[in-house]
Amino acid sequence: MAALDIQGLEKTYANGFTAVAGLDLKIGKGELVSLLGPSGCGKTTTLRMVAGFIDPTAGRITIEGREVTHLPAHARDTGMVFQSYALFPHMSVAQNVAFGLEMRKVGRAEREARTVEALKRVQLDHLAERYPRQLSGGQQQRVALARALVVNPAVFLLDEPLSNLDAKLRGEVRSEIRALQQALGLTTLMVTHDQEEALTMSDRLVVMEGGRVRQAGTAEDLYERPADAFVANFVGRSNLIRGRLAEGAFEAASGTRLACVPGGAGTGPLVFALRPERIGLSVGDDATGEPAVLKEILYLGAQTEYVVALGAERLTVIRPTPAAGDPLHAARPGDGVRARWTPEHVRLLPDT
Amino acid sequence: MAALVLPAGLLVLLLLGAPMALMARYSFNTYDPLYLMQEAFTWANYTKAVTDEFYRDILFTTLWVSLLSTFITTLLAFGPAYWLARMESSWKSKLTILTLFPLLVGGVVRSAGYIALLGNEGAINAALRGLGLISHPIAMLYTPFAVVVGIVGVVLPYMVLTLAAVIEGIPRQAEEAAANLGARPSTVFFRVLLPLSLPGVLAGATLVFILCMNAYATPVLLGGPKFHMMAPAVYDQFTRVSNWPFGAALAFILLVVTILMTSIGSLLIGRRARPA
Repeated sequence: MAALDIQGLEKTYANGFTAVAGLDLKIGKGELVSLLGPSGCGKTTTLRMVAGFIDPTAGRITIEGREVTHLPAHARDTGMVFQSYALFPHMSVAQNVAFGLEMRKVGRAEREARTVEALKRVQLDHLAERYPRQLSGGQQQRVALARALVVNPAVFLLDEPLSNLDAKLRGEVRSEIRALQQALGLTTLMVTHDQEEALTMSDRLVVMEGGRVRQAGTAEDLYERPADAFVANFVGRSNLIRGRLAEGAFEAASGTRLACVPGGAGTGPLVFALRPERIGLSVGDDATGEPAVLKEILYLGAQTEYVVALGAERLTVIRPTPAAGDPLHAARPGDGVRARWTPEHVRLLPDT
Repeated sequence: MAALVLPAGLLVLLLLGAPMALMARYSFNTYDPLYLMQEAFTWANYTKAVTDEFYRDILFTTLWVSLLSTFITTLLAFGPAYWLARMESSWKSKLTILTLFPLLVGGVVRSAGYIALLGNEGAINAALRGLGLISHPIAMLYTPFAVVVGIVGVVLPYMVLTLAAVIEGIPRQAEEAAANLGARPSTVFFRVLLPLSLPGVLAGATLVFILCMNAYATPVLLGGPKFHMMAPAVYDQFTRVSNWPFGAALAFILLVVTILMTSIGSLLIGRRARPA
């Protein structure tokens, strides 16, 4: 039995706008699943329907075997961490954390013990008497976590939990949340538009677009075997080129021919998808691969991004920054280079 | 920048400060029925105002009518204020303006309407009699009840708009977080919404209380000849009796009591509204 079971979930507003169009999702006990997608894809609406803030138009939501589809939010036993944290400004940190226990009529002694324990888990027990506005953004975030965790919710809900933190803190909090979630075995549904966040934290990801699921799977599934061009470009980056198969190779609409393994892809319109880091570049007379012209060089520190023209097509290439002495290190825009890739790394996706 | 404050500052000084200073001085003068105001320096007017049972009663009536009206107004205003504050449709700004519509009708005109509604031959009594529910009219006009109804009708928009402005500043997520943690709607209200609205309740109640304490047209027109509140009493002293010194003393007592009451209110509510 799935800890969270969503079947045929739909939300259509009075003005006819469909935010979620038939979503099926099962989350196992202790699993962390992310809903990933651009803004307006329906991921937040889905999360809010699970929390009980939005009433679904159709479908069923079951939490640990209990149907909650139309139950009010306070009767659902979910623990949500809001994007804005939504701490109660008029209550101290300890009062914020104890609130859920109070609502569950937990006795005073146990309430205090569990509050301290939850605050210790997020290393904030020394700030229990402070008020939210006296805390930094990162500390407020941890209070919000403690407040949601302390009640041992059947489902843990995270709404863009890291979006209000600065880049440096983000990595830290990311591993903290994941460690807590795994240590407590919390069934978790997270919403994010940040693919790095989703890839590093989740057991499984669900990529959504226009209210529908585009693809669901592990980080590796989505990255290595994207089902369509949208997923290929949304999860990581991809060189996407439209065209079709002709004589055992891919022929772009411009006529440029690119190496691939045709497999059973058929003769219809296709999208050639190749990750930038799967393309190799070399310079010099003994170099092998397709002749190409270097157009742009973007130095990113550990990596360098190149744009090369291959026939009429442009490909983005990401390589570890070459050391001094490497012929590629001296290459400048306008220089001739050779580009090569393993044909098996190319994905031929349906052109939709 | 300071120069920008000057015109308004001068105006206040001239039109508010100067008359107040004059009034303060008058309140210590004596009154002679023949020669009217006489220069003096005596507390006699103040002593009379607080010891004379008639005027003491007027002050108490003013106080309880104002407190009751403020309380009822707060109760009535919370619902519409919340609804207005949380509204997301394009109707919001239109409804906000609509809230102010009652203020387009002056207090006197409105009181005339209440007379037509509440009088012995008024609409309500006529309707009840027509339905056969009563045989004799219920006395509503010229009762404190009519005055409270009239005053609440006047001050309600101020309270709704003040509260709505503050509720709008309370993030909806705070309410959602409480519900998510297991709080029923009533608990969300008493534990989250109300405490966070207290600054608005305080601001609205202060404004409304001051308006109630100084109400003139409503008590005169709806309270009838036997019902007295402070503002009409001050007016009577100045115009009918021409006892300026006593009128001035009553006015200052009204001012001081109003300031005192609003300060006590600020202390009581304000402390809870600003934790730590």
